[in-house]
Amino acid sequence: MEQQIKELRLRAGTAIGAASTLKELDDVRVRFLGKKGELTGLLRGMSKLSAEERPLVGKVVNEARAELEQLIAKKNSSLKAAELESKLASEKIDVTLPGRRVHAGHLHPLTLTLNRVKEIFISMGYSVEEGPEVETDYYNFEALNLPKDHPARDMQDSFYITEEILLRTQTSPVQARTMERHKDNEPIRMIAPGRVYRRDDYDASHSPMFTQVEGLVIDKGISFADLKGTLEDFSKKIFGEKTKIRLRPSFFPFTEPSAEVDVSCVMCHGEGCKVCQGTGWLEILGAGMVHPDVLKMSGYDPDKVSGFAFGMGIERIAMLTYGLDDMRLLYDNDVRFLKQF
Amino acid sequence: MQVSTKWLKDYIDIDLTADELAERFTLAGIPVENVIHAGEGLEKVVTGRIEELKAHPDSDHLQVCQMNVGEENLLQVVTGAPNVAQGQVVPVALVGAHLPNGQKISKGKMRGVASNGMLCSADELKLEIDNLPEEQKVGIYILPEDTPVGLPAAEVLGLDDDILEFELTANRGDCFSVVGLVRELAVLTKKSARLPEITVDEDDASEASALVKIGIDAPDLCSRFSARVLTNVKLAPSPEWMVKRLEGAGMRAINNVVDVTNFVMLELGQPLHAYDFDKVVGHSLTARRAVEGEPLHTLDDTNRLAKGGELVIADAENAAGLAGIMGGFESEITESTKTVILEAACFNSASIRRTSRAVGIHTEASGRFERGTNVNGTVAALDRVAQLLQEMGACKVCKGVVDVYPVQKPEIKIKFTTAQINSRLGTSYSDSEIVDVLEALGFAIDPVNKVEEMTDEVVDKVASATKNFSKAAREIGKKSNVENFIGNIGATFGNLFKNAGAKANDVAQKTGVDDFVQNISAAVGDMVKSVDIKLSSAYEATVPDWRNDVRLPDDLSEEVARVYGFDKIPSTLPKGNQQGRQSPAQVFIDRIKAILSSLGLCEELSFAFTSEAMLDKMRVPADSELRCAVPIMNPLTDVAPLLRTTLLASIFENAARNFSRKNEDVRLFEVAPVFLPKALPVTEQPLERQQVVGLLMGRREPKGWSQDAAQIDFYDAKGIVEELLAGLSIGNYVVEAGEHYALHPGKTAVFKKGRDVLVTVGEVHPAVAVALGIRKKIYVFEAEVETLHRFAAKKFSLESLPKYPSISRDLAILVSHDTAAGEVEKVIAKSGGQFFKGVTLFDVYTGERISADKKSLAFAIEFRSNERTLKDEEADAAFANILAAVEKDFGATLRS
Repeated sequence: MEQQIKELRLRAGTAIGAASTLKELDDVRVRFLGKKGELTGLLRGMSKLSAEERPLVGKVVNEARAELEQLIAKKNSSLKAAELESKLASEKIDVTLPGRRVHAGHLHPLTLTLNRVKEIFISMGYSVEEGPEVETDYYNFEALNLPKDHPARDMQDSFYITEEILLRTQTSPVQARTMERHKDNEPIRMIAPGRVYRRDDYDASHSPMFTQVEGLVIDKGISFADLKGTLEDFSKKIFGEKTKIRLRPSFFPFTEPSAEVDVSCVMCHGEGCKVCQGTGWLEILGAGMVHPDVLKMSGYDPDKVSGFAFGMGIERIAMLTYGLDDMRLLYDNDVRFLKQF
Repeated sequence: MQVSTKWLKDYIDIDLTADELAERFTLAGIPVENVIHAGEGLEKVVTGRIEELKAHPDSDHLQVCQMNVGEENLLQVVTGAPNVAQGQVVPVALVGAHLPNGQKISKGKMRGVASNGMLCSADELKLEIDNLPEEQKVGIYILPEDTPVGLPAAEVLGLDDDILEFELTANRGDCFSVVGLVRELAVLTKKSARLPEITVDEDDASEASALVKIGIDAPDLCSRFSARVLTNVKLAPSPEWMVKRLEGAGMRAINNVVDVTNFVMLELGQPLHAYDFDKVVGHSLTARRAVEGEPLHTLDDTNRLAKGGELVIADAENAAGLAGIMGGFESEITESTKTVILEAACFNSASIRRTSRAVGIHTEASGRFERGTNVNGTVAALDRVAQLLQEMGACKVCKGVVDVYPVQKPEIKIKFTTAQINSRLGTSYSDSEIVDVLEALGFAIDPVNKVEEMTDEVVDKVASATKNFSKAAREIGKKSNVENFIGNIGATFGNLFKNAGAKANDVAQKTGVDDFVQNISAAVGDMVKSVDIKLSSAYEATVPDWRNDVRLPDDLSEEVARVYGFDKIPSTLPKGNQQGRQSPAQVFIDRIKAILSSLGLCEELSFAFTSEAMLDKMRVPADSELRCAVPIMNPLTDVAPLLRTTLLASIFENAARNFSRKNEDVRLFEVAPVFLPKALPVTEQPLERQQVVGLLMGRREPKGWSQDAAQIDFYDAKGIVEELLAGLSIGNYVVEAGEHYALHPGKTAVFKKGRDVLVTVGEVHPAVAVALGIRKKIYVFEAEVETLHRFAAKKFSLESLPKYPSISRDLAILVSHDTAAGEVEKVIAKSGGQFFKGVTLFDVYTGERISADKKSLAFAIEFRSNERTLKDEEADAAFANILAAVEKDFGATLRS
């Protein structure tokens, strides 16, 4: 009997090993361990044995059953794994096919740049002021100390609507308008972003319309050093911590002293390259202490308060930050361009 | 203004290179735009004599030259130039030269004959060739035969002089002269300048005033008119040195008289004009306004007619020149000129600028007058011209200057304190640092009477110190029983507070109260000390007469700052805090941009210009107010002479440009102003209204291997509008079929809130698309930002999530073909009862399976209670109600 069991275990083991599908394995299980299976059959034959033999043989049979069940379970899981594997293999796709894109929208690079500039100044306590794009000669020029026939008017060739109305050439008129709204030498800290117009041809570096941000701070004891510190702070925030600035004395009728402001080249960091034409510096804005006549004209007392003002072109900053070499890219609105931002 | 470094060095000893000079000037506010390194590329070019000339054995056009270049051995050079001959001195480029035209010279053979250099043409050296003889224009440049050999060609050609090109700011007229620049340079380098010593030998006994009459009829436009008379004038070429200086400054030499007037203008900044005495009718010159239509024959031999009002210099009969801009043709200096009237005047800058612009002539002279000249400099300039011509033996000088100077220009005096300057700059320069700079710049600085010049601030300090002092004095006086002390000290203090300390000591000593002395002198001492700081730095600056740009203490602060350098100014931040913010309107626009870009649209930014032609293309009706666009007086081109009245004009233009560039999938939006005049012609600023527009065309999904190739349709555009309104929290609007000049009459919808139009959306009229050159269906929407802002919910309101399940019922009905789905939805909502929560149209069908005049609409209707789980019967009842309503209102039948 024992011999029989041993031989059965051997056969069953081989059959389990040979099963290549879950179905075959189940057939093996039924053949050996099922109700009518061989091992069950042997167990039935035990009744013929003596009382002494019975427990011994029973034990052997149970051991064999346990062992075979274990073998089957093991085989079962390995077959399942293999089956899953082959299923997954059959599901393989070409992952190099392009993804299904959606139409993504984009803000214009000038808006993105302007937003950064606005954020920086808002965080420094500046309010954002606006004014009309079609301005009077008074606000665009005269209130800024640029009377008629002033030679500095030549610097800005204007689009005129009438003798006295024109497309603003700068956002500085917003300064005058904002000052007029304030009374009693109230402190002001503002920026005025907006479109401005000059009668320039449309080419790689000029555009008849462009975007300017004007800044104005008025308070007791505002100094040129405050202007310098503010612009330094701004330049580092917009162009990076390593940025240096350089102020060159200049002339604007509305400020005194006046300065042209350069930042260390964003491309070469001052080493000299094509972008900065080898100088290491890039001119990005004009600035100065507000001229006392300008303060007076808008109702401020230059003996009590002082202020600084600055103006910058957003196109220039955008072109530097994004490495653009042609201003027309910004106003042609080619969707292949707009989609890159 | 351009000037050679050599000329500057005539007047000041400096050993700075041209580039260093440029930087110094620029960083002091006198910008150098460009440095021309003359002689660049001529480093290895020398003079050489052709000692021997032979024909090349293997060429009929090449010649072999043996050149003496000042070295022991002759240098063999092969040349192809036809104009060479033995004995000529010519420029020779040696091996290693890198010529200005980019050519590099190396050892070589030409048809087998060694050539160790190159004979150069004027062109190869980048020399001016206009005045050369014909054969030298193409051939070798020939130097005078007596030119020494072996010299650097740059030196011989006068090209060893670097040129600085200034881009002067409008305020610094004084730097429009060599002397002006040298004056600045002297301050910047702390060197002293050697300005020309001007002396005249009046060697003709006749009195100038007896020979010529000078008058000013327009004193507002001509503040001074000075003249000298030169006799025995001998016209000749100018000496070489002067020609070089003029050429270095970009001017051409003409003859000694003209050259000297130009030279002196460049040197001193005072433009001059020379008249042929004999051609000046009546020997009289008057500065007057031109009469309208008066003939003007100017030096450039152009006949003009005066507009009237421009300043001219006239002789007894005619205008003899446009004052300060260009002289007259008739009185021009010629070979036959014997006697010269020399004019140096001061003209009103604005008037010169106006006239110069009007006639389109900009000269060296007009440029200087526009920026303002020194009214006190006219006589010196006349004298300088006379001196130089005399030195050349070109004239005699009559006695005296005829000088009409009706109103002497007052000296400008500026009172300032050093504290004022330091506080404007944020610096702490000492008194002497500030005074030194200003004095070096030519300002006369005087300390001012201190008491008189006390500022409010100082007065306050003195007053409060006095108050403390008298209080203390009184206290102590009481103790010390010295009644009259108080009166004494008060009087003393008032008059001579500086001595108050000493006086107090005297008085106190007499009283013999030790502690009083100590107290009182401490109080007085402190007070005097604090006042003294303020007062000791009060000054008065007298502005030098060549500076027309300095008027205020603020101008002085700039002088100090720029001379010490802006880099020396510290960096600080404004004190105090303010709240930074954007206005609600600005925030709202940012929100619109954020929403539209999140919906897949790209933001465009376009010019605010448009044209009638564009409005035509857009089918804007002739009587539409959009046709009343603001015209620009001086548009850049005829393509864009108007300010846009609708933002659609801009977005259409961008769409057309994209389409022409084969960008067929375009989704754009813009938020920008349009300009609506209150009346035409324009008399006041137009209204500026912010609009938002969007445009879509092309594929619904980006092109791809598994994407839908379907094109965008009306409902895509409408969906974007719906999302925009949802994002802006604008609800409860009505959508109706609408009309729009640029849109398809059957595919235009208007989103409305009462009478207000929120948004118009639709398919672009095919005629507009054709006019734009776009062979595609285009969809656009437009809205007024202000209207959207008005209806946008001010507060966010959250709809809470449902606690109980909802019940959904589908309603599929047949209605007549022209029934608007929106109307059906409205009826469903109205008849849905209290549990109705919403309706979604999920299918629209027309086609074979139903009759042609019908369409099928399928709605999913949702019912829910906020208090409990709804029963099916309740939903069924509501559904029945709805069905009854649509049957009644639209004759709808349930679709089976």
